[in-house]
Amino acid sequence: MNLSSENQALIDSLVASIRQVVPQTVTPGEAHPVEDAVALNDIGVMVGITGDFHGQVVLQGGDAAFGQLGASMFGMPLDGEMLHSFVGELGNMVAGNAATLVAGIGKRIDITPPAVMRGQLQLYGFEQGFRIPLTLDPGGELNLIVKINDQGVA
Amino acid sequence: MAKVLVVDDAAFMRMMLKSILVKGGHEVVGEAENGAVAVDQYAALKPDLVTMDITMPVMEGIEAVKKIVSSDPAAKIIMCSAMGQQGMIVQAIQAGARDFIVKPFQEERVLESIQKLVG
Ligand SMILES: [Mg+2]
Repeated sequence: MNLSSENQALIDSLVASIRQVVPQTVTPGEAHPVEDAVALNDIGVMVGITGDFHGQVVLQGGDAAFGQLGASMFGMPLDGEMLHSFVGELGNMVAGNAATLVAGIGKRIDITPPAVMRGQLQLYGFEQGFRIPLTLDPGGELNLIVKINDQGVA
Repeated sequence: MAKVLVVDDAAFMRMMLKSILVKGGHEVVGEAENGAVAVDQYAALKPDLVTMDITMPVMEGIEAVKKIVSSDPAAKIIMCSAMGQQGMIVQAIQAGARDFIVKPFQEERVLESIQKLVG
């Protein structure tokens, strides 16, 4: 896997952030390189990263996994628009707490407001990115998809 | 009991904060989904206190704090953001925010912060 130590540090911070934000036990699997368009279904949230790193972070999962997360974090079952809004806020919290963690290694990042995606769609531009499957106990499966753009390349 | 303006781009987070505030005996007099709406709402509603997100479209929260505080230096604003790194906290406090709560937060942390500010 062709990943610089700095980019690895960002991915590690994102995984560590998810573990902080989510009350469940989170077990990350192997990081897989993304070779093609990313196929999304159910729900996903995308947050852009700027500053010392440039890229996108996507957290993707099923309604049940996100619904259970919302219920465990905020004590209420969520569906429809509130579930979408929760997923957006989850993306914001994961990226925001990761920003705090990378500040600890001297890197500054800022984050964009989240974009929530629903349904089946193909996400292009994530080639050379990485997908890390996350198992939540209890809960289910989420995918963390990270694309870090090389800096200084037009 | 405080009259509170809740500012966050996520409807979910506004709902969470509202339920915490109401449980704590406070009244939510307004909601705003970005900093620009918050500035207008603040002027119109004159709330005792504001909870302010940072990462929002149109106008982010620290910019909104500066605008609100420049029109009302006594404004009581509590930041409520996932961006909890030291640099961001310092910026918010310098802009005029009185406290900084990092998301995800505990209910008690929010109510304690309000208690301290409005007694
Ligand atoms: Mg926000």
